[in-house]
This record gives sequence, C-alpha cells and structure tokens, in this order.
Amino acid sequence: MFMHILKYELKGGLRSKDLIIWLILFPIILGTVFKVGFGSIYEKTEKFNSIPVAVVEESENKAFRQVIENIESADEPFITASFTDKANAEKLLDDGDVEGIIFSGEKLSLTVKEKGLRETMLKSFVEQYSVREKIAKDAFETAPEKAQEVIETLTAETVSSCREIPVTQGNPDVYAQYFYNLIAMVAIFGSITGMTVTSRRQADLSALGARSCCSPVPKSISVLASLASSFILQTICMTVCVTFLAFVLKVDFGDRLWLVYPTAIFGGILGVSFGFLVGSFARVSEKVKTAILMTTSMLLCFFSGLMMGNMKAIVAEKAPWFNNINPVAVISDCFYCLNIYEDYDRYFTKLITMAVITVLFITLGIVFSRRKKYASI
Amino acid sequence: MQVFKAMMKIMRKRLPSAMIYIIVFVVISILVTNASTKDNKFEVTKLNICVFDEDDTPESRALTEFIGKTNDIDEIENDRDAIIDALYYKRVNYALIINKGYAEKLAAGDTADLFGSYHIDENYSVVYIGQFLDEYTTSVKAYLAMGKTVDEAISCTEKALSQHTDVDMLRVDKGGNSHYSVDFAGYFQYMPYILIAAVFIVICQVLVTMNKKDIRYRTNCSCMNSSKYTTQLILGSGLFVVSVWLLLIIIGAVLNKEMYAGRAWYAVLNSFIFSLVVTAMAVFVASFEPKENVLNIITQVLSIGMSFLCGIFIPMEVLSDKVLSVARFLPAYWYVKANNMIADIEPFSRGDVLLCFIVEAGFVLMLIMLTLLVRKVKYSGAAIANTAKKAAVSH
Amino acid sequence: MNTVVKIKDLVKRYGDLIALDHLNLEIEQGEIFGLLGPNGSGKTTTINCLLSLLSFDKGDIEIFGKEMTPVSYDIKKDIGVIMQNVAVFDELTVYENIDYFCGLYINDKEKRKQCVDDAIKFVGLEDFRKFYPKKLSGGLLRRLNIACGIAHKPKLIILDEPTVAVDPQSRNRILEGIQELNKNGATVIYTSHYMEEVEQICTRISIMDKGKKVAEGTKDELKRMIKNTETIIIEILELPDKAYSEIASLPHVYDSRFENGKLSVYCSGGKHNLTRVLDVLQKNELGFGRVYTELPTLNDVFLEITGTALRDKED
Repeated sequence: MFMHILKYELKGGLRSKDLIIWLILFPIILGTVFKVGFGSIYEKTEKFNSIPVAVVEESENKAFRQVIENIESADEPFITASFTDKANAEKLLDDGDVEGIIFSGEKLSLTVKEKGLRETMLKSFVEQYSVREKIAKDAFETAPEKAQEVIETLTAETVSSCREIPVTQGNPDVYAQYFYNLIAMVAIFGSITGMTVTSRRQADLSALGARSCCSPVPKSISVLASLASSFILQTICMTVCVTFLAFVLKVDFGDRLWLVYPTAIFGGILGVSFGFLVGSFARVSEKVKTAILMTTSMLLCFFSGLMMGNMKAIVAEKAPWFNNINPVAVISDCFYCLNIYEDYDRYFTKLITMAVITVLFITLGIVFSRRKKYASI
Repeated sequence: MQVFKAMMKIMRKRLPSAMIYIIVFVVISILVTNASTKDNKFEVTKLNICVFDEDDTPESRALTEFIGKTNDIDEIENDRDAIIDALYYKRVNYALIINKGYAEKLAAGDTADLFGSYHIDENYSVVYIGQFLDEYTTSVKAYLAMGKTVDEAISCTEKALSQHTDVDMLRVDKGGNSHYSVDFAGYFQYMPYILIAAVFIVICQVLVTMNKKDIRYRTNCSCMNSSKYTTQLILGSGLFVVSVWLLLIIIGAVLNKEMYAGRAWYAVLNSFIFSLVVTAMAVFVASFEPKENVLNIITQVLSIGMSFLCGIFIPMEVLSDKVLSVARFLPAYWYVKANNMIADIEPFSRGDVLLCFIVEAGFVLMLIMLTLLVRKVKYSGAAIANTAKKAAVSH
Repeated sequence: MNTVVKIKDLVKRYGDLIALDHLNLEIEQGEIFGLLGPNGSGKTTTINCLLSLLSFDKGDIEIFGKEMTPVSYDIKKDIGVIMQNVAVFDELTVYENIDYFCGLYINDKEKRKQCVDDAIKFVGLEDFRKFYPKKLSGGLLRRLNIACGIAHKPKLIILDEPTVAVDPQSRNRILEGIQELNKNGATVIYTSHYMEEVEQICTRISIMDKGKKVAEGTKDELKRMIKNTETIIIEILELPDKAYSEIASLPHVYDSRFENGKLSVYCSGGKHNLTRVLDVLQKNELGFGRVYTELPTLNDVFLEITGTALRDKED
C-alpha cells in the first residue's frame, strides 16, 4: 500500500513540472548571480594583495625612494608605488586606482579616500618610516658608538618573528558561505512540497483529502508515503543544485564533496518536514500558511546570513543558542564544518541536530494532523 | 472602475497574509539598518585580536597591552574550533599566541619564533599584524643594541611606535549630509528588497486571481477593452504599493528620529519611483499566470538576485565592473546608484540623480508596454478561439 | 433484510446553526436510498458524518452492524464514496487515477487491473484512458469521479450529488449505472436535489429540510401522504362566477383557481374527476381549449410538508 501511494505521488509530483523546474532553476539562477557578483570580491577585499600607492615627491628624499624600491623588489611586495605629480595622484586616488597618496618631503604625509584596513596599513607604513628615523636618532643621541650596529639591526633581513599555524585545509573564502546559505535556502524551500502533503491528506483542506480519508488506508501510512515522495523529489532538486554549484560554477566546498551531497539531501528532508509541520496547523487558511512558510523561511535565511554575511556571527555573539536551532543555519553550518574542520565532531553534532529537528517536525506534524474527525469541512 | 473595486475587495481579503510579509520584511530591514554603520571620517581601523599569552611575563603583558591601545583585544575560549569560527566569520581578525620563552628570547635579542598565529588565509590583517610584530621586536632589539635594559627598550619602542602621522581625506569637504546620513541611507538601500519580496508577492497573488481563466473569459465578454482593463489593474496595484510605500516612509522617519528634510526628499522621491517600478513588475509577471508556489520562488529569485547584483546586499563599490555593467539593465541598479549619490557615497550631482529617476521611470513605461502587449497577445479573442478549438479537437 | 446503515439521533451543530437535528435513518441491504432536500438541508453533512469525516455532537452511526469510526478500516474497505466535489489528481491520467484509488482497497495487481478496466468500461471512458482530468468535459470528469469510487466493487456506495452540472446524456448514463450497480448487489445511498432523478431510481426516499427528516417512504408512499392526487388544468377564455363556484363545490375538489385564462382544479382522491369538471363546463356551454392533468410530484410532497417549494431554494 505504501509503495502504491508512493508510486502515484511521485508520478504526480514529477508531472507538476512547474514547481520542480523552478526549484531546480532557482539555485541555478541565484548561484550564477552569486558567482558573478562575488567573483572577485574575496580576492579583491579579503585576500592580501600589494597595495597600490602614488608617491608625490615634494622635495628630494632619496632615503625614502630607496626604501620603496627595496620593498618593491620583494616577491609579494607590500606596496606598489607609482611616482607622479600631485594632480595626477589625486586623480588616481579618486578613480580608485591607488589606495593612497604618500607625500614625501621633510616629513611624510598620507592622503586617502576611504577608511579601511588598507588605509590603516598605509598609515602604519608611513609611520614605520618615521619610527626608524626616530630610533636611529635615539641611537645617535644615546649610544653613538653603537649606532652602526643598531642600524644594521634595523635593516637586517630578519626571519619573521611570527610563525603561522594553519588551522584548516578548506576554502577560506568567507563568501563561500553565501553558497552554503543558498543550498540551505533551496532545502528549506522544500517546505513548499511538504505543505502539499498535508493539504492532500486532510479532509478539511481538499476534496482529495476528504476522499482519501474515506479509504481503508491508515492515515499514518498514506501521510508517510506522500512524505517519502516529497523527500525523493526534494532529493533530486538538492542533487542538481549541489552538482551545479560544484561542477558548473566550481564553488569550492573543501575536499569532502562526497559528504556535501548527503548533507544537502538531509537538509532537503528537513525542509520538507518543516513544510509538513506548517501545513498541518489547523484552522489556518492555505494562503496564510504559505505566507507563514515563506516569511519564516526568509527570516531563518536572514539570520543565517543569506542577505548579510556577518549576520550569523552577530547571532553567534548575541544569541548563540539560536544558531543551533535555526534549521537554515544548521544546514549551512554543516557545509561550513565540512569545508573548514578537519575532524568530524562538529559536523556530526550538526547532523544530529538536523535529524532531531526533522524527527520533531514530522512527529508534531503527524500529531497535529492525526485528528481524525473534523469540526467542519 | 469595476475592476478596480473588485481588486480592492480581493486585497482586503488578502490583508492578513500581506501583513505577515510586510511586518517580517520591515523587521529585517530595521535589523539590517542597525547592523551596518559607515561614516565619512578617517579613523584607524581597529582590528579584533585575541591573544593567548603562554609566556605570561611582564614583557608579554606589556606587548598585549600595547596591541590593545590601537586594537580591540577579544577574549576567546582557547579551543581550536572556537578560534576557527571566530577567524572565519571575522569576529576576530587575528589570533596571536605569545610563545613560552618570549621574554627570555627577546632579552637575548633573538626575534625568531617569538609568536604563533592561527591562520586561515593570507588576508590583510595577517600581513598588517605580522608587520607590526616584526617592527615591534626589531625596534626592541635595536634599543637593546643601544645598551638599554629590556624595560627601557620596551618603553622606548612604545614611544617610537606611538608617533602619529596625520592622514588627510581626499575631498573631506564633501562631508556628510546632515539631513541624510550614510547610516540612514542603509534603510533606503534595503527598501527595494522589501518592496519586491513583500509587496510584489501580494500584488501578484491578487492579480493572478483576477487573471484566472474563468474570470478573464467573463471579463473579455464584457464591453471593456483590454487596455482599459489592464490600466485599472495597474491602478489598483499601484494604490496598494503606494500605501505600503507610505508606511515604509513613515517607519523610516521614525527610525531616523526626524522628519525628512533637504536632500532626504530626493531619497523619498527615489523610493516612490521605485515602488512604481515594483508595481509594473508585478503586473508584468502576473500576466504570465504563474501558479502560487512558483510565484513564491520567482519572487525570491527576483528579489534576492536583484539585491545581490545591484548592490543592495553588498555595497556597489566591491562589485566588479562586469557585474555592474549587467546590473545597468535592472531597475534596482539605478535606485541604488541614486541613493548612493544622495548619501554622498558617490559624488552628488543633481543632474545625475535626476537621470537615475528618469531611467527608473523608463523601466516603468517599458514594463507597462510589455504587459499590454503580453495581455493583448495572450488574452485576445483570437487566443480564446484557438484554445477553444484545441479543446474541441481533443474531445 | 439486513440493515446496512443505521443512524440514530444524529445532532451536528456549526456554532449556533443546527445542521442536523436528531436525524434517524435506517438503510436496508439492496436499496437505492435517496436523500432528497434543498441545498443546505443537511444531506452532505449527513454523508460526511456517516463517513466519520465530521465530528458530531450526539448520536450513533452503525454501518454493517458495526460502529463507524475514523479507524474502522474494515468497514471503509466495503464502502465506495463519490464526493460532491470531484476528487482526482490533476497530474494523473484517467487510468492512473482509477488505479490509484482502487489500489487503496485492492492490493493484488491482477485483480486490480481487472477492476479498473471494468470501471472504465462501466462509465464509458474507454477512449479517454490516457487523458488528464483537465482535458475532460464536466460530464466526463464526473464519470471519472464515479469510476474512482466504485472500481473496487464496494458493497455500499455513497453518491453525494454526483450529477451536479452534468449534461442530460451523461446524467442518464450515470443513473442507469447506479441501477446496474444496485442490481449487482450493492446498496446505494444517493443524495440529490433533483427530484426527478430520485423519483426515477430510488427505491426508498427520505426528504430532508433544515437538518430534519420530514418524510420517508417509497415514492408512492410519499405521494399518498398528501391530499393532492391530481391537478386538472383547462385553458378557458371566460369563466362566469356561477360555473366557477359549481366546479369548486364538486366532490373531491379541495381547491381551485382561475387566472390568465387557465383554470386549475386540485383534486384529492376519487375517480372521474376530469369528467365531472368537463360536465360542468358543458352544462354552462363554455368553450375550452387544451385540457391536461398533472400527477403530484415529490415537489408537491415537499411543498405540502414544509410550505416551501423545493425548487425555490435551488441556487
């Protein structure tokens, strides 16, 4: 009986093409938008690149020129300088071709256009020059006999005092989380298919529901069979979605892609269960249910950082418990764990959270829709 | 005005679900507005740094304190996962470990391997702090070489490193606009998202109801011509959108704690024109009669897609030129561009702002014409005859 | 005879509205039982309570001698339901829809296939097996709805207004089909507000109004309940008062009316009523046109019992 219902639910689901097509198209379109939009942001704003500056020499300052040339000769220089006049430098700055203008004269001064880390770094670079000047001056004042030694210390090629301890092999691009959230959003949109399960199975919601209540099939079996069919349909959507992101858009999910698939599929199942739960609320019209479903989904996505990447961090700070129960955040965290962590502890915790939420939703949904008789149809 | 009246009645019925959408999205936009701050004055960017002091000597504490002068020191649980999370989500920009034996090594003038840092990627903070640490230790070493004691060397170093260079802002005179701060511009920046995500979906649902086959056939049998019918639909939707827009403007004034004045009126006008764009978009999409479920997804694609491409969710400055040249074909791009100019994020020029308004209005006209065209083709008598013929054949 | 359905003192309220007011029904095996009443009289509510879809405030319902509950799967197994609203999957074809619903009752594939084929033949949808419901006309869709309800050959078939919005051709086919199902041994419960249909096929009829059963019996029994047995209508140009009062005072005539050149004489029982009326006319040398008589309908029964016409309440 289960298989019989499942078979026809699947047939019906696959034939109502609109929804499936859009559920598949939706991550493809948005994924492409993300890819195009973020394409180079990470490289441009997060990852270190030489900072372009314009240098305007107001008076001869050989020493400074020497320093610049030294720096530029490095493999990955800290700054790339272009010597020019003031008018041109300002134009370059205004157009965004350089981050700042260093005026070298008696004293160094800096002009920038925006405030930010790169500007701060330029400032500290300029200051560094005067720091060395001061140290040298101090040396001549306090211990002229050792001045030579001091200057050698300052200019000697030293090994970096700081050793970097890499903590992950994954993709450090913080913008990748938009893709995690996108997958989580597709998953939570499975709620749309999940909701139709209840409306088709409840006598007060549709003629079909009334009809199937009259059949000798226990409701739990017919509901579970319909749910199973929604799970399968959602699984197809999730698989296409991840495949598209990973292989067409070449989003870097870290080195455990084979685990990303089942995670996305579990997420889809969670989404369907969510819709099933909302669908089983009594005494609420279908329109309002849809509104609840869509807005809750969007709110959850919002708190997970779909619209603003740092939202999840803000939530983590202000109400960390919420990230552990927000289904969208849990799903996207799974991808994050797979990408960043080398061990599986956190990943498994998240997976278990997902499973618990799913079971809870389904159980509650069945409890709510279990009422066998209706006050009105 | 029968069509218009009927539409108003349907909308009243839909009000509960419409309110859910609108309230939720207004809440989102308030949260967003509060979460983002920008301003025009140059100040040194403070990094969030967490320090794990394994040496725990006066020297290491002095260093921590010195770092804290120009940066914020954050406490983080010394747990690998917690550190990774903090670094990945940029809650902490740098995780520094002062290795055991730091004081001894420093006194001996050995600067290698004094520190460790947890490292996710080679970003600016890593380079910046790395340079700072090198500078600090080199300076201390230099002072030690002068024959100073460690304590003296440290205090001299701090003094040397505390020198400040003044930084000029290019065109500082442009200043902020007292009537329209950059902070407040964030509220308006998010408005297209609310208008599309919340208002669009409500309007579309009502229009799809009005467009249902049976009702449409019946209307087509009446003596009303199709453009007149469409015009009334647009009018009805427009009225609804404008009332929601008015609500958003009032909420905006409340959030900003003052009545709109001066340049802020440009922003109000900008959002008004955009709400007309949303109306036209809704009428256009509705003429394809999408099913309700599908409509939900289309709305998400439109609202989120446009928001990302046109600089609503992420600032326009960081989008690549290629993206922006595509975004030019979307109305939200012009809205955000105008908003940026009004807020002085881009140089303000009345002419350019007006140009943006005109382009937005152009989108409205274009969408209305397209809608009329689609409806003429889809719903004209000939189309009905064809459908009927097909139905007859299939029997 | 076995009692198939027994409804005792059924009360159902919707807020202040009493939808069913102490309703009692007993339906015997082999009957085609008609539930007749205007819209809103409680027919569908009765059916939904009977099927345990609706909760009710008071009363007992037994089917096949057992109490009906939502989990009485053994009872449901033998019931075929045809709902007022067409309940089919838009995404499934005619054949698949019937197979789906039949499959809810019959597990065995071979047997099911036979049943589905029989059902398709029975409703005459052989040429439409692969059609989707959207492509079917109103009448064909109703037939599909019926096929979905009866494919598993149930012992009790409940049809709730299966002929709403159906063309006469399809309607006749449906009615004949119901009689055939009954001949093959099924008990049928049939609700309608079309009294012609009920008169045509039902062996026993219950008339409902405002949630109450107002009359019950075979159609002849029902008609015998009212005094009118015959209405004589004569087209006549002029009727002097003398002749009119003469006719009104004839034996068995309990009411008469003369309007717009039409004389209506209402008789109750007796024989040769027409001859007597015509005798009076001839005696007064009055010419007359067309003469015809009308036998009482269930509408008259309803009219007399409730004071309102059945048709008046139709939408």
